Amino acid sequence: MKTEDLISALAADVPPVPRHGLLRRLIAGLLPGGLVTLVLVGLGLGFRADLWPAMHGGMFWVKWLYTGSLALCATLATLRLARPDAGVAGWLWLACLPVLGLVVISVQELASVPSSQWLAMWLGMSWKVCSTNVFLLSLPIFGGLLWSFRRLAPTRLRLAGATAGLTAGAWGATLYCLHCPESAAIFVLTWYTLGMAAAAAGGALLGPRLLRW
Amino acid sequence: MQPGEEALKQWMVMGLAGDSAAHGQLLRALVPILRGFYRRRMSAQEDEIEDLLQETLIAVHTRRATYDVARPFTSWLFAVARYKMIDHFRQGGRTCTIEGLEDILAVEGFAEASDAVADVERLLETIPKKQAAAIRATRIDGLSTAEAATKLDLGESDIKVSVHRGLKALAQRVKDSLL
Repeated sequence: MKTEDLISALAADVPPVPRHGLLRRLIAGLLPGGLVTLVLVGLGLGFRADLWPAMHGGMFWVKWLYTGSLALCATLATLRLARPDAGVAGWLWLACLPVLGLVVISVQELASVPSSQWLAMWLGMSWKVCSTNVFLLSLPIFGGLLWSFRRLAPTRLRLAGATAGLTAGAWGATLYCLHCPESAAIFVLTWYTLGMAAAAAGGALLGPRLLRW
Repeated sequence: MQPGEEALKQWMVMGLAGDSAAHGQLLRALVPILRGFYRRRMSAQEDEIEDLLQETLIAVHTRRATYDVARPFTSWLFAVARYKMIDHFRQGGRTCTIEGLEDILAVEGFAEASDAVADVERLLETIPKKQAAAIRATRIDGLSTAEAATKLDLGESDIKVSVHRGLKALAQRVKDSLL
């Protein structure tokens, strides 16, 4: 094909790009993925029976603040890495803060109970499935992000894949909080983080292949 | 005379607003810029460069939402072009001679590099048109002396002399501005 013909063909179809078109594109991928995950949590796992009373307690919000702030940082990092001339992803460093915060809370919590209870707090009732659930719930959101990336232009594919994976994992974990009745900080710090890290690792592994353009 | 950052950015912004004429103008203006970019960096056949050029134009078109209007257009453009080139090498999976590989791989400092392009443009405007055109053709677009002579409709020796004098004048300008 002649270059001139190509240009004529391309210039014949120029829809306007809305302001913040990149952000909109990312959200347009995140929302349907998140909706699928929400349905899976609601219908597949079931919302926790004490969801309403739990929302009046502090720990529910600590969990949400933890996963939610990670999700936000990861989303913003992904937003930056979706541009070809992206700089360093500073938001990823900011994501260390919630982790450190939860470490502090966990230590305080452990210090306030006898050490004989530590193992029970750490393993809770669902340690065997928690990380796996978080990882699996991240998949629909990751799929949505892959759709978003079809019009985006990342140049650091492995890092972009990792942040997309972390974004999906953290939003997935945020929705998983609606099911999971665990309330020990050390539990969340271990098993939630493991699930989100697995999602990020999966994204890093697949990034160079799936995000190529 | 190739359009500079300002003109390109204006067309891009108008294209983002849905102005297809400006968008076409932008894509047409990018052809010689990208051709020069790839020619300088790879020892490929013309048709290979043309393929890469077309792929880059398509990427500029389909992924234009990733351009941040608060940033220089050329740094976005060359980031896309550089990615396409590296992807091309990866696809080919063979060794190619790449001049200045370390420049290509240095992602950091890219903004500085595109600032340098703008500086060069500004400097070239300070010397006589013929000398600037000769330097642009041979040193920036990567044409041979013979090709430049045909393009500019001048003799080969004229080109050589113009480049020589132009570079000397530029060196003097830079020296003056440092004093």
